[in-house]
Amino acid sequence: MELIHSSNYYAFFQSDKERCFYIDFGQKVVRLSFCQLLALRQKVWAIRIEDHFDGELNAHGFEILALCNKEHLFVLNTLEILDLKELLIGAFSFFDICVPTSTRAQRV
Amino acid sequence: MKDIARQSLSIKVESMDLLNNQIKMEAHASATYLAMASWCDQNGFFTGAKFFYKQAEEEREHMMKIFQFVIDAGGNAISPEIGGISHEYSSIVDIFENALDHEIRVTKSIHNIVMKAREVGDLATERFLDWFVLEQVEEENTIRDILDMIELTGTEGVGLQIIDGKINDWID
Repeated sequence: MELIHSSNYYAFFQSDKERCFYIDFGQKVVRLSFCQLLALRQKVWAIRIEDHFDGELNAHGFEILALCNKEHLFVLNTLEILDLKELLIGAFSFFDICVPTSTRAQRV
Repeated sequence: MKDIARQSLSIKVESMDLLNNQIKMEAHASATYLAMASWCDQNGFFTGAKFFYKQAEEEREHMMKIFQFVIDAGGNAISPEIGGISHEYSSIVDIFENALDHEIRVTKSIHNIVMKAREVGDLATERFLDWFVLEQVEEENTIRDILDMIELTGTEGVGLQIIDGKINDWID
């Protein structure tokens, strides 16, 4: 298992042998297939972090994240969500399926 | 180290995101045309209703085409949530003008995905969308022709009745 990327709270690994990924969430390590990883990415991307600063839209500043077909359930606060986003951006940038950061920067 | 992600997905992940947005847009278009069909039916434009029922089906077919492509490429296709469908129209002209605006928005969105795919060298997505680029030219042209026909016929007297009958020319 090889470390691909880490953030303040989390670490992202790839296992060539098992053809899967692992995320160390601190309190537990979650095994994800590629499809489950894409699903996580889409769930995290869909979170509107600005809602965390609106008392009506998200009164408590928490997100409930169900992973791997509801096998795992996480309750994450604003900082943890931001950190998870950073982890996934960093991890995906290592893959060939992701637009290289330099191309993205040129586009901006 | 193996690139398991690349082995699992044949297109760029950013293209997948844009295609999922397009799926949503096509679903929205389908629901909008259904609302237009309902308006036409309620206001006596029965051929107009038939035209929009067919358009609604076509948009759903477009949505499914993209959905299947994302799946075939190894991606995660998202079933869209649709909201904010307007059922309020002031006239048959208003309906077709709205339909044309909608088609133009869809065209722009497809062009945007093609340009982004080209920029990042995602040839599979770019080539897949070739069909959609040409299809949009046809879709826009159909609505434009109907609007021209409405203008030529005029909406006074039996004009509206003639317009509804003539819409049949654009139903295959």
